[in-house]
Amino acid sequence: MLNSGTIRWNHVLGRAFIYLMLGAFALYYLIPLFVMVVTSLKPLDEIRSGNLLSLPMQPTFEAWGIAWNSACTGVQCNGLQGYFYNSMIMVIPAMLISTLLGAMNGYVLTKWKFPGSNVVFSMLLVGCFIPFQVILLPMAKVLGMVGLAGSLPGLVMVHVIYGLAFTTLFFRNYYITIPDELINAARIDGASFWTTFFKIILPLSTPIIVVSTIWQFTQIWNDFLFGVIYSSGEQQPITVALNNLVNTSTGVKRYNVDMAGAIIAALPTLFVYVVAGKYFVRGLTAGSVKG
Amino acid sequence: MNGLKITNVSKTFGKTNVLKDINVEIADGKFLILVGPSGCGKSTLLNIIAGLETATTGRIEIAGEDVISRDPKDRNIAMVFQSYALYPTMTVRGNIAFGLNIRKVPKAEQQQIVDRVAKMLRIEDLLDRKPAQLSGGQRQRVAMGRALARDPAIFLFDEPLSNLDAKLRVDMRTEIKELHQRMKTTVVYVTHDQVEAMTLGDYIAVMKDGIIQQFGTPSEIYNHPNNMFVAGFMGSPSMNFIPCQLTEVGGEVGVYLQGHTTRFFVRLSQTGKDYSRWLGKNLMFGIRPEHITDYAEQVGAQEAIPCKVDILEPTGPDTLLFITLNKVKVVCRVTPETALQHSIDKMPLYFNTAKAVLFDPASGLAI
Amino acid sequence: MVTKWLERIMPRLVLAPTFVIALVFIHGFILLNAWLSFSSSNLMPKYDWAGFIQYERLFANERTAVAATNLFIFATLFILICLFLGLLMAILLDQRIRGEGVIRTIYLYPMALSFIVTGTAWKWILNPGLGFEKLMHDIGFETFQFDWLVNSEMAIYTVVIAGVWQSSGFVMALFLAGLRGIDESIIKAAQIDGASLPTIYRKIIIPGMRPVFFSAFIILAHIAIKSFDLVMALTGGGPGYSSDLPATFMYTFAFTRGQIGIGAASAMMMLMTVMAVIVPYLYSELRSQRHA
Ligand SMILES: Nc1ncnc2c1ncn2[C@@H]1O[C@H](COP(=O)(O)OP(=O)(O)O)[C@@H](O)[C@H]1O
Ligand SMILES: [Mg+2]
Repeated sequence: MLNSGTIRWNHVLGRAFIYLMLGAFALYYLIPLFVMVVTSLKPLDEIRSGNLLSLPMQPTFEAWGIAWNSACTGVQCNGLQGYFYNSMIMVIPAMLISTLLGAMNGYVLTKWKFPGSNVVFSMLLVGCFIPFQVILLPMAKVLGMVGLAGSLPGLVMVHVIYGLAFTTLFFRNYYITIPDELINAARIDGASFWTTFFKIILPLSTPIIVVSTIWQFTQIWNDFLFGVIYSSGEQQPITVALNNLVNTSTGVKRYNVDMAGAIIAALPTLFVYVVAGKYFVRGLTAGSVKG
Repeated sequence: MNGLKITNVSKTFGKTNVLKDINVEIADGKFLILVGPSGCGKSTLLNIIAGLETATTGRIEIAGEDVISRDPKDRNIAMVFQSYALYPTMTVRGNIAFGLNIRKVPKAEQQQIVDRVAKMLRIEDLLDRKPAQLSGGQRQRVAMGRALARDPAIFLFDEPLSNLDAKLRVDMRTEIKELHQRMKTTVVYVTHDQVEAMTLGDYIAVMKDGIIQQFGTPSEIYNHPNNMFVAGFMGSPSMNFIPCQLTEVGGEVGVYLQGHTTRFFVRLSQTGKDYSRWLGKNLMFGIRPEHITDYAEQVGAQEAIPCKVDILEPTGPDTLLFITLNKVKVVCRVTPETALQHSIDKMPLYFNTAKAVLFDPASGLAI
Repeated sequence: MVTKWLERIMPRLVLAPTFVIALVFIHGFILLNAWLSFSSSNLMPKYDWAGFIQYERLFANERTAVAATNLFIFATLFILICLFLGLLMAILLDQRIRGEGVIRTIYLYPMALSFIVTGTAWKWILNPGLGFEKLMHDIGFETFQFDWLVNSEMAIYTVVIAGVWQSSGFVMALFLAGLRGIDESIIKAAQIDGASLPTIYRKIIIPGMRPVFFSAFIILAHIAIKSFDLVMALTGGGPGYSSDLPATFMYTFAFTRGQIGIGAASAMMMLMTVMAVIVPYLYSELRSQRHA
């Protein structure tokens, strides 16, 4: 009796400990977000008098307004607004084009292999592993040559090219699990290359399309490297603008505006993550665990 | 008219020779079985007939027309796959009508065909479901329906029943046979199951390692196997192979068999073959379980020999007995009653040598 | 006839743009960059041959050693801490936890953020005047000091802190998927043999996750070597150049200081580093695939 009682007591203690640890980790991840939100809602003097965790006495969205409309990002002082739209204009076509190309590549690489198709895939896959620093200088030259330097279309092109390796990998790994017999059945039914793709393969691809678009959306929206190098002035994406806003050294440091700006820059990807993150993680982890 | 003619077909993947000089010809309306162990090249051959793979060399004629350079869709074929390969995003109706749609058959006619096929296969109630909502047997029917919707010159089946449970498999087997008798369309049917091969086929091609070991009617294949592989592969439990020496005793050719306690002579005169060339040679004596039995009246059976039984396995309709002859395990098949009546130390067994086959162990070929 | 021919070559046609992209924009560009690193380019790219001049300049520069050392410190700590935290959280979460979905979401959301956002947030939190230091003062630790962000000895460690915060949740997800992928019957068999839970983890489960460790290591190493945005947003490479990483070094030389040759040479060194990590991995991966 005593013995089983002790075991149960140990069990309860053990469970309590596990939940305590999990809670502590949750706080670790949540506190920075909390700090960002609280800071963005405080007036500057409250920031100076309080501390990171103190709640705002007089919550105000003033900093948000400034960040959106009038904060200085270098020479201009029009807030992040324009850059937010820039990012949208850049991310949507880049994401769609690279996903569609990736789907077509994956289809050919699994269902219509030809001598040499695997060589193309291996060559492309290198793009998943290289540090992009090795292509920055030649790319700058090419963008200049085709007249896309410093522009959003140029950035779209860069993101499509260097996202293609990833989207192709996603779709290839997904399509490899679709039995070849399905394609054979369609061929016997008389379906052509494209009919099979659009009528049979694409309707089956929803999960991987979700993964690919979310991945590309987050990668491209969050990109800073290509943005800071290949865009300029009014054509910059929001990450670059945010960094400029935070590091603009004129006048007093407005931490509340910085935080509001950071949240604005993070909102789209956070939104996507909360809405569809489940599929995202499932897809991302599937390939790497098998290895 | 020609149903199907395969001439000198071979296929290599890289360096491996998967099919080696295949030649088969069957008349229109016949049911051809390709049977053999897994990996012997059956599916590859079927895919070459379908045009899904290209043969390295050789020719294919379907209904008298050379089709080797045609795409699958222009070969006038329909195919049922092992995994069924139903289009997961389409309903049953969509699956059956897909090929008709692509061939631009008018909608009204499509409707008619789908209804006719659905009735024939008794899947009228399933037409609006998706494949994921069907049981294995229902999926199998839909896969058949998709093939039946067209009126092809030839039906190709790639192990269509191997994913079904045992009972359903037997039912569907009968149904396929009925369908074939009704439609009288040429069929090529791939299976690794020798029972399916025996029950369904007008002709059987037994394959191994990309070579057709024997081509013939089921009874030819079963009763007159060309070699030890065919003899062992067809029939369950398989044929016994007993090493022996061919001898002549009192003008009769036969072999001595040594059990645990008895040694006896089995005459081979009833096989009606001339074995004089092989006298004194070491051979393989091939005899099927049902030909070592309690059934005295069998043609060619000699006097009963009392044998010591090692193991006794009742299967229901009959009982399998394991005895030892010339140091190898030998299976015999008797009625359950006989098995119960006699002592297992002295089971009386008749050897029906009229159905026995002798093989040359060096080449494996029948003598 | 034409449509038939078109249908035949369609797969090649579809893959052709990708082939060109891979050939030109990946392999061609790497070669071009290699050329630049052997040229005399300074302010403008020049395609001539100058031998190893740029590499000599690169290694003679005192910033190079700083960036390399920083990468070593950052990568080591970042990878080890992420692996440790990720595994710990995954094991804790694997104990049939109520609300697992919510907790997982919380652990993972930083991955959705831009490193620029993460850097901006932590720059504020670690701010010596009003940030973490002030918080500790307010709680009662009057003499608490925390100036890593502006301390050239310690600045690189703030990058580790922010990096771990952003990436450890992802590692947790990898490990959790790995834990879930382990055959339940093996664990049951071990339980029947009387093994305790910690023993089962130590002797059976964790050794069974070698491939996950490997994948996680490769991904983290890759993130570490490419790290650029986080440093730019958090420390800007400073104070001075004390928290430079190879990626910020390359950017500075190639795009702001007009030393294209040195920038190209440093990019080549980064490529070598990545290859040194990844090639053995890919090699073993391909071998095991061939054997399977
Ligand atoms: N695309 C291919 N590439 C290389 N080898 C193949 C390919 N398809 C089949 N094979 C090989 O050809 C042989 C025959 O395969 P298959 O026709 O599928 O056998 P079966 O259907 O009789 O089981 C097998 O050894 C198989 O490994
Ligand atoms: Mg097969």
